[in-house]
Amino acid sequence: MGSSHSMPEEIQELADKTGFTLEQIEHLHRRFKQISGDQPTLRKESFDRIPDLEFNPIRSKIVRAFFDKRNLRQAPDGLADEINFEDFLTIMSYFRPIEMNMDEEQLDHFRKEKLKFLFHMYDSDNDGKITLQEYRKVVEELLSRNPHLEKESARSIADGAMMEAASICVGQMVGPLWVV
Amino acid sequence: MQPPTGPALASAPESPPGAAPGSPLLRWQWREVQAPCLVAGWILVASLAKIVFQLSRKVTSVVPESCLLILLGLGLGGIVLAIAKRAEYQLEPSMFFLFLLPPIVLDSGYFMPSRLFFDNLGAILTYAVIGTLWNSFATGAALWGLKQAGLMDAGVDAGLMDFLLFGSLISAVDPVAVLAVFEEVHINETLFIIVFGESLLNDAVTVVLYKVFNSFVEMGPAHVQATDYLKGVASFFVVSLGGAAVGLLFAFLLALITRFTKRVRIIEPLFVFLLAYMAYLAAEMVSLSSILAVTFCGICCKKYVEANISRKSRTTVKYTMKTLASSSETVIFMFLGISAVDTSKWAWDTALVLGTLLFILLFRAVGVILQTWVLNRFRLTPLDRIDQVVMSYGGLRGAVAFALVILLDGDKVRAKDYFVATTIVVVFFTVLVQGLTIKPLVKWLKVKRSDHHKPTLNEELHEHAFDHILAAVEDVVGHHGYRYWRDRWEQFDKRYLSQLLMRKSAYRLKDEIWDVYCKLNIRDAISFVDQGGHVLSASRLTLPSMPSRTSMSESSVTNLLRESGSGACLDLQVIDTVRSRRDKEDAVMHHVLCGSLYKPRRRYKASYSRHFISPSTQERQDKEIFQQNMKRRLETFKSTKHNVCSAKSKARLKKDGRKKQKKSAANAELPNGKPPRSVTWQQTAAAVLVAVDSDDEESDSSETEKEEDEGIVFIARATDAILQGKKASGSLDVCPSPRIIPPSPTSAERELPWKGDRGDLAVYISSETTKIVPVDMQAAWKQSISSLESVASPPGAEPGPHAKTVAGPAPEERQMMPEPRTCFQFPNPLLRSSRPQSAGSPERTEQPELQPLMAPDEQGRMSTAAGPGNSRWLIQFNRPTRFSDG
Repeated sequence: MGSSHSMPEEIQELADKTGFTLEQIEHLHRRFKQISGDQPTLRKESFDRIPDLEFNPIRSKIVRAFFDKRNLRQAPDGLADEINFEDFLTIMSYFRPIEMNMDEEQLDHFRKEKLKFLFHMYDSDNDGKITLQEYRKVVEELLSRNPHLEKESARSIADGAMMEAASICVGQMVGPLWVV
Repeated sequence: MQPPTGPALASAPESPPGAAPGSPLLRWQWREVQAPCLVAGWILVASLAKIVFQLSRKVTSVVPESCLLILLGLGLGGIVLAIAKRAEYQLEPSMFFLFLLPPIVLDSGYFMPSRLFFDNLGAILTYAVIGTLWNSFATGAALWGLKQAGLMDAGVDAGLMDFLLFGSLISAVDPVAVLAVFEEVHINETLFIIVFGESLLNDAVTVVLYKVFNSFVEMGPAHVQATDYLKGVASFFVVSLGGAAVGLLFAFLLALITRFTKRVRIIEPLFVFLLAYMAYLAAEMVSLSSILAVTFCGICCKKYVEANISRKSRTTVKYTMKTLASSSETVIFMFLGISAVDTSKWAWDTALVLGTLLFILLFRAVGVILQTWVLNRFRLTPLDRIDQVVMSYGGLRGAVAFALVILLDGDKVRAKDYFVATTIVVVFFTVLVQGLTIKPLVKWLKVKRSDHHKPTLNEELHEHAFDHILAAVEDVVGHHGYRYWRDRWEQFDKRYLSQLLMRKSAYRLKDEIWDVYCKLNIRDAISFVDQGGHVLSASRLTLPSMPSRTSMSESSVTNLLRESGSGACLDLQVIDTVRSRRDKEDAVMHHVLCGSLYKPRRRYKASYSRHFISPSTQERQDKEIFQQNMKRRLETFKSTKHNVCSAKSKARLKKDGRKKQKKSAANAELPNGKPPRSVTWQQTAAAVLVAVDSDDEESDSSETEKEEDEGIVFIARATDAILQGKKASGSLDVCPSPRIIPPSPTSAERELPWKGDRGDLAVYISSETTKIVPVDMQAAWKQSISSLESVASPPGAEPGPHAKTVAGPAPEERQMMPEPRTCFQFPNPLLRSSRPQSAGSPERTEQPELQPLMAPDEQGRMSTAAGPGNSRWLIQFNRPTRFSDG
């Protein structure tokens, strides 16, 4: 383990905080070091070291989510320049599978956290709302791998989706997708 | 299934009996047509029976059709037995395997939700392989134990191998029965795909076990050597993987062939059926698992085939497949019933029958519970107890087991008659008793049902986003899991496979999101037209793709006309005004249709060809739309070059605004929960104002709400409002006469919404509003049309005039600039003249009928005009907290 997390208690603490097992944390730490190049923190450029990520159409959004302070539970908005291992674990913990022994409340909370994470990914200007513009960006990126679809079509798809979202949410106080 | 009795077939080719010398006027040729006639007759009987069953909804809602068919078969078999004194017909294994089973398997493979299937492949394979192995061995061994214990009749002359053989054929869950019963139950997709996938994939295990044990029995247990067991194990892999490989090979061939069928559209569907059938036969020929072959062929070819073949062929494939599968299924169940009557093959042993029933139920349940326990450690969404109950209870046996037991060699397997009887009882028990009770059981256990809803765009988008995110997280973690490989596969597929197997035109536009989008748009467009165009009266705007739609039953044109008529004309004084309003609406409607619908030429060639369905109107249509579109764009280009901003643009603008506002009004109104009564012009007008000066929107839209109920009184004001709106949105300093608005490009540039678009688009959105911004239907329209258009003209070909138009602006503006400019164009003389008249010219409404060819150059206006431009008219509606409550 890295210098800052060498103590077993610390690892235990991390495990309690994030819900990972000790082995998982160890594995993640190895990976963390691999990505960061043995540095204590990750920067955005570090993610360039992952070759598989290169083809991901929404790569930038995903990488950005790692540095989003809302996801790091540090601040209501803003972007961190670098994240340490604990932050890395915090982000990773969003992707933990649900556990069998969770009760309804925990499950609900867990799901909401995940949804929030996604929401933050879409809501790039941190105002708690997904605007058409933001949505369009996401759709554009999603479609960016297909060179034959013009940006314009991405736009209209986003528009259509927004319209649809509006129509779905009507009548319900809480739209199924945007529980935030 | 057909005439099994030897003499009938054997004597068929004989010359008609009693052929009298000379030339008779009529000859009785029954024998020549007997075989096909019987086939047709049976299918007809079965199909008629289906109609009869469906007459009583009460019965069919309780009793699955398969049960009814079996009972019918029993009845018919009884009648035949009574008349002919012997059982004439029964399910022939060769008929069953060669003709009846393939359509069902192909249908289920082809329409298998592949994503769901592969997501659950691990579970499916576990249940199919391990579960079936466990079931057969446990059942066989337990029955043998029963025999050893002396509980069975001495007549059951069978050793361990015989019982294992019987166990192997009786333990396989049957795809036909499962499909028939579960389709009516509507359990959730995951559960369904697991049970159903298992029933398909366990075929390999069943085939191998059956063959291996059969050969063991035939060899005699004494001669079986260790290598034979090894061979058995090896043959499992050969049979299953080989079967799947044959399926994949034929899927590849099929996809490749359909790539080149452009000129022989009419036989496209045939290839699908032929190659799938060839896959089945090829696998059967080399004794591989034919069910696996067809299943995989169906699953894998679908994506490419659907992209390649024409829309009509797609429908044909779908319907033919369903028809074939459904009739096969019907015939199978009916003949199961008929076969059961044939008591000559029965040999009853109570202990065997009861033992078998008990064991298959017991071991199935045990197997499911054990496997699920293991699987749940790996599954993201565990299968809970209720799921397990349904899975164990849903293990239906069916015709496959029956056909296999009939195939047994009576000389080698001496207990065959007992096995036959037991199999029939088991099949009847599972299909009748379990089939009948599973529906109440599912209800009682409150199993999650499937919620059948049409795909929504958001779902598709988010699903893709999830996929990418999860793949990315796996990348980051460095864990190469399922999603990683799926991602890899998709990349490989996009780069190589799709390019190889899809038509160029199809490949270019192939994208799931885009597909869903097009589908939804086409559906919207169809309903738009179906509703008699009255979508435009805002309140009527119910698009089927919107899940919250109300019932469409009252959307017939006459109803709409009647309603809107009666709603508007209550006050005699305002009839004039009302008429003008309606005229206006009609006019606008007309322009929308005129601009966005394809107008077929009235020159139909009466031609008949066996090989072609008319000179493919679709393509001609696409071509014309495209050409008109290009023409329009060129004109646009010309005028933008000269920097002409004529009055046309004003009119166009106004119209745009109007329609958009209507849309927005519709959206604004829906949340109120008000019944969609006629939203009238004035509301529209108010909405125009809302959109234009975003500062006042609060007051304005509250005005909208107020006005909503007042109706007709506001009509006069409405026109003013429109004019104001237009003024505001156009250039503020021009004279109100709509006709002679002087070109003032600078002010327009200053004021027009899309001009101010660099960067800050939120100008038109107040902070309290929802930010879920509805867009004009035109955008949707435009896309559905342009998607058609792009079929004919791949997007790559278009940028000609496009590029020219844009020559000036910076690259990032490209997408924004050229399209909005087309809004400025108003080349259609009709439209120009329409505005002044719009105050009340009755003939306007007739124009659609009178001049179907009118204004061809306006064609595709919607398609070119202003997707982005329109959409930038961000109209918020006034529900501050609804969508973003957090």
